[in-house]
Amino acid sequence: MQRRDFFKKLGTVAAVSAVMPAMSFAGGSKPVSPNKMDYNTAVKTITGGKTPKPSKKVKLKVPEIAENGAVVPVTVTVDSPMTESNYVKAIHILTGKNSNARTIDVYLTPANGKAMFSTRIKLGGTQKVVALVELSNGEFLTASQSVKVTIGGCG
Amino acid sequence: MQERKSLIKIKPKRYKNGEIVKVSFMVMHPMHTGMAKDKKTKKIIPAKYINSVKFIYNGKEITSMKVWESLSVNPVFTTYMKINGKGKLTVKYTDNTGEAHEKTKKIKPKG
Repeated sequence: MQRRDFFKKLGTVAAVSAVMPAMSFAGGSKPVSPNKMDYNTAVKTITGGKTPKPSKKVKLKVPEIAENGAVVPVTVTVDSPMTESNYVKAIHILTGKNSNARTIDVYLTPANGKAMFSTRIKLGGTQKVVALVELSNGEFLTASQSVKVTIGGCG
Repeated sequence: MQERKSLIKIKPKRYKNGEIVKVSFMVMHPMHTGMAKDKKTKKIIPAKYINSVKFIYNGKEITSMKVWESLSVNPVFTTYMKINGKGKLTVKYTDNTGEAHEKTKKIKPKG
């Protein structure tokens, strides 16, 4: 084999092997999530038709670029006094494009003292992460941020 | 039923009555979404994920969570809690296959 040919072949092999994992991930019959739900339906189910308004009271902390979609740390903090009459009832963490948009619903009580929740979630690809907060007076607040994912975590 | 390793962490370690502390619950759980394939057998791994977590402090439920399948492997749940006297904090979870587990930590406020 000529040296030049050898390098050409080496090039194609490298290209194919780089594409292969992506194909095996996308191709074939893709299994669906047991609780498939898209983002808009999820919001409607939670709010019951009310429109959540974006608020600066809700602080969502997610990395802008996540190298590994399987482990994305999420922290939601809500500015609230957490008294018997005025507290955060629930924090929902939603994703824009995951097969099931809902990841976790946290129901808080005044006994928490501070409205904060943090966990680690899986992201199937680049998408937005949304925190939907329900207050005790029935209002819904939201905050969102898009996360760039290098390797998907739901495959 | 398989016994799983879990841990309750309270920060700071020394706390007083009435103080608001950070509570973390960690558990070793595979959190299979039911969508991933086994790399060796090429078969879909059946869904196995935690679907409910409850923080119970002295018999009173202070935080409850409804969990869906897209949490990471070995999930961590962190929230705050107001210390309100001696007692114990129990964290219970169940998963979609019916597995249940609980972990208790004594609450001993100093001063």
